[in-house]
Amino acid sequence: MMLNEIVSTAVKKFGVGREQLLPVLQYVVSQEKWLSEDALLGVARAFDMSAAEVYGVASFYSFLDTKPRGDYVIRVCRTVSCDMAGKEAIMEALEKTLHISVGETTADRKFTLLETNCMGWCAEGPAMLVNDYVYTGLTPEKVVDILQGYMAGA
Amino acid sequence: MTREKKLKVTIDSRELEVRPNTTILQAARESDVYIPSLCTLEHLPSYGACRLCIVEVDGLRGYPTSCTTPIEEGMVIRTDTTELRSLRQEILKLLLSEHPASCLFCEEHDECKEFQGTIRKVGVTTGCRYCPNDARCELQEITEKVGLTETSYPVYYRGFSVEKYDPFYDRDYNLCILCGRCVRVCNSVRLNGTLSFKQRGKLTTIGPAFDRTHLEAGCEFCGACVSVCPTGALSAKVSKWYGKPDTQVTTTCVYCPVGCRLELQVKNNEVIDVLPNYDSPIDRGLICVKGRFAIPEYVLSPERLGTPSRLTPVGYEVISWDQAIDEAAKRLRGTKPEDKLVMVSPQLSNEDLFVAQQFTREVLGSDAVISSMMIDLGDDLVPFLELVTSSSTFDTIEDARGVLAVGFDSTYGYSPVGIRIKKAGREGALLVTLGACDSNLDMLSETAFQMEPPQWAEFLGSLVDYLARGGKGKVKIRKEWTSDIERISRIFSDSSTNILVIGQEAIFSSGRREIFEKARTLRDKLGWKIIVAHPYTNLLGMLAMGAFPGAKPGEFLKNGDAVTVDLPVIDLAKRKKVVYLIGEGRFDTIPDCDYLIYQNGLPPVASRQPDLILPASLFTESSGTTTNGEGRVLKIEKATEPFMDAKPDWWIFNRIAEKLNKGKLKYKDVAAVQAAIKKQVKGFYGGRKPVEFARINAERATKWLRGAPKQEGQSSGAGNNPSYRGIPLARVVAGMKAIDEWVNTSLLSDKEAQ
Repeated sequence: MMLNEIVSTAVKKFGVGREQLLPVLQYVVSQEKWLSEDALLGVARAFDMSAAEVYGVASFYSFLDTKPRGDYVIRVCRTVSCDMAGKEAIMEALEKTLHISVGETTADRKFTLLETNCMGWCAEGPAMLVNDYVYTGLTPEKVVDILQGYMAGA
Repeated sequence: MTREKKLKVTIDSRELEVRPNTTILQAARESDVYIPSLCTLEHLPSYGACRLCIVEVDGLRGYPTSCTTPIEEGMVIRTDTTELRSLRQEILKLLLSEHPASCLFCEEHDECKEFQGTIRKVGVTTGCRYCPNDARCELQEITEKVGLTETSYPVYYRGFSVEKYDPFYDRDYNLCILCGRCVRVCNSVRLNGTLSFKQRGKLTTIGPAFDRTHLEAGCEFCGACVSVCPTGALSAKVSKWYGKPDTQVTTTCVYCPVGCRLELQVKNNEVIDVLPNYDSPIDRGLICVKGRFAIPEYVLSPERLGTPSRLTPVGYEVISWDQAIDEAAKRLRGTKPEDKLVMVSPQLSNEDLFVAQQFTREVLGSDAVISSMMIDLGDDLVPFLELVTSSSTFDTIEDARGVLAVGFDSTYGYSPVGIRIKKAGREGALLVTLGACDSNLDMLSETAFQMEPPQWAEFLGSLVDYLARGGKGKVKIRKEWTSDIERISRIFSDSSTNILVIGQEAIFSSGRREIFEKARTLRDKLGWKIIVAHPYTNLLGMLAMGAFPGAKPGEFLKNGDAVTVDLPVIDLAKRKKVVYLIGEGRFDTIPDCDYLIYQNGLPPVASRQPDLILPASLFTESSGTTTNGEGRVLKIEKATEPFMDAKPDWWIFNRIAEKLNKGKLKYKDVAAVQAAIKKQVKGFYGGRKPVEFARINAERATKWLRGAPKQEGQSSGAGNNPSYRGIPLARVVAGMKAIDEWVNTSLLSDKEAQ
C-alpha cells in the first residue's frame, strides 16, 4: 500500500477527532514499521493539526518510531531483573548474530535491535519482544535459534 | 451587558467578592493576593505545569493548583501556610535541579553585580555570565519570593547545544524549565503551530517537527515565544546581554499600515528591544517580525546618516546644518515650479507630510509632491485609492462568516489581520484563499485555490458574477472552476458578513485593475467588506494631509460629496532641475535631474549619488502621529534623541523655508504643526474613531503618469520587499536578509518542483 493510502485508510477507520491520533499513528506503524516525515505530515494534514504537535506526540512514545525500522523489531528488556538474569549475554548473542549494535538496523532492513523497559515478565527473564511476540527465559543459544527461524521464515 | 453576580470567597482569612468564571489564581491576583507561578500568563490558556501556584482549599483534597481550579461561591482558600511554603520550595528545588543555578545560589550573590568577584581565589573580576537574561529573569524573581536560598540537589546540566542558526533569536534549552508558555503562545495565540514539546523525560525539548530549523518549519519570527519565556532559554540576538532597560516607550509601528502598538525598550538612549502590547485594541499584541525584531538594527545601523554632507568631485564633504540649508536654498531659489519635483515617503508622520506639502506649495510654488507609491500603482492609482479609503476596520474580521483572501500571506507581515482571519476560520467561518503558492492561511482554509496571478481576476470575476445573479441565469465560468465556484458561492451568499482581503501579491499583479473593480462590485452590490493589505504605512495620512498632487489638506476627508481626483500629468522622462527626496530610497523611480537632495536616515542603494545629503531622524527619534489602514490617527512617541546630528523632517523644511523667506512655515515644535493641522483639517485628531474619507470617483481615472520606469511583471515595487523610508529592511537587518534569502530559495525550489 502507498503511504497516503495507509494514512487515508487509518483516518477512515478511526476518524479525525483529536483522541484518534494515537490509534491512527499506531495503525501507520503497524503497516510501515515507523513514522516517516511524509507519514506524519499526512496525518497532521488529515487532523488539521500542526506537524509539530503530531511529531511531539510521536516522539513521546517509544513504540511510535520516528526512525526507520526493520521488518522485525527486537526489543530486549533492560530492566533490573532481566539484567540480573543475564541480559548482557543475550544482547551479545543478538549483536554477534545480526552484526549490529543496539539502536541499529541490519543492512537488509530485516532486523532492528533496541532496548525496552519492563514488560512484566520479570519472573521469566531475560525477556525480549520481536514485534508483538514475547520470548522469555532466554539463553544465548535460544536467541540464535529464534533469529534463525525469522531469517529462514521470511 | 448583564452584570455578573459576584462570588463571596475567603482568601487568607479575608472575605472578598470576586468575579465568577475565573480561576482561584486570577481571583487572587485581582484582589492583590500574591501566589507565585511560572507557567501562567494572561492571554494564555491555563496549563498547571509548574505547580508553584498550589493552594489549600477547604473541602478539596490535597493541594490543587490555583491556575486550573475554578473559583466557587463560599470557597475558603489559604495561599500562604507553612506547609505550602515548604512544598513550594521543594517544587522549585526540583525545577531547578535541571537549571543552572549559580546566579540564584552563590555566596557572592549580593556583591556579584557590583564587584564582579568570582569564587576563584585569584583577583579576577569576571562573574558568571552564561545566561543572557540576567536581571530580566522571572525564575530569579520567583526564587526570591518563594524564599529559596540554597538547593540540596545536584544540578544536572542537560548539555544541549545552543541553537544559534535561525534569524533573530537564539535558543538554549539547558535553561528551559518546560513551562510551555512558548508552545501555548505559538499555538493558541498566534495560531501558528511551529512549536511543540518533543521527546520525553530528561530529553524533552521544545521545537518544530522533525528537528527542522524554525525557518524551515514556517516560523513567523513574531518573537511571541521570546517575550513570554520566563528564563533565558529564548533570547533575541540583538538585545540579549543588555540587562534591564531604563525605560519603556509606547509608540506605533510605522513599518506597515496596521499600526501596531509597540513598547520600545530603551537603554542608554538606544532602542534595544521591542515588545508587543496585548491590550492594544488594533493589533491585540499580535505584532509581526518587522515590529518585533527589525527596529533596533535599523535605527542603530552603522550606516546611519549622521551629518549633512555635499558631493564634491573628490567625494562627500561633511558640512554644518547652516551650510547645508544655504546650499539647499541656493539650489531651490529661482527655479521654475515645473522644474522641481518633491517625493515623499508614505512612511513619514502626518505632521511631516503636512509640512512637506506646505513647503512644496508655499515655498516652492509647485504642486508636484508625489511618492513612489503613486508610481508603483501607475494608472491604476485612482481605483486603488478608492478602495483603500473605504477599507473596513480590522475587527470586522472577527464577526465575518466568510473570508476570501486574494494573494495574501501574513507570515512576515499583517499578522493582526492574518491571525484574525485564522481565528475566524477556526471558529467556523468559511475561509477561501486564492494565491500563486502556499499561503500561511491554507491550513485553516476550506479551499485553497492555486493559480497564476493573471487568472485571479478572471476567477474573482466568475465568482462575483455568480454571486450577483444569486445562482440564477447563465454565467460563463471555466469548466474546471464551475463546481468549486458554485459550492463556495452558496456558503458566501448564506453568510451575514463577508470580507475580501486583497494582499500585496494581488496589488502588484498584472490584473489588479480588474481585481479592484470586482472588489468594488462586491462592496457596492453585495455588501462585502474590503480590506486592502497594502505596504504604504501612512497612505491615508498622506491623502488627509494633502501631500498629494491636486489635493489640499482635508480635501479627501468626508464632507458630503464624492471627490474626483484630478491628477496633473507627471512626466518622469522629462529632466528636472532639482529633485528633493524625503524618506524615499527608491531610485528606480525618479527622473533625471541636475541636482538631487536626499533627506533620509540611511544612504540609498543606487548608482546615482545625491548632491546633498540631509540626515533625517527616524520614527523612534521624533514624535508625531500616523494614520493606519483603518483611518485611525495613532501616536508616535519619541524614545531616544536623534542619531548624531539628524533632525526631524519638519524641522529641515522649516529651516529651508526660513532661509528662502517664503511661506508660513514657522513651527517651533511638533505641537505647533499639529495646531496648524487642526485649523486646516477639521476633526483630524478627533479621537478613537477612524477618520472618514470621502468617496473617490473611480470611474474617471485619467492617464497621469508618463515616462514611468518599466515594472517587471507582477510582484514589483515594494510588494514582497518590506522597507522603511525606501530602504529594504533586508539591507540593514541581518535576520530580515536571512528570511528574504530563505523565501527566495524556497520559491525557486517550488518552481522547480512544478
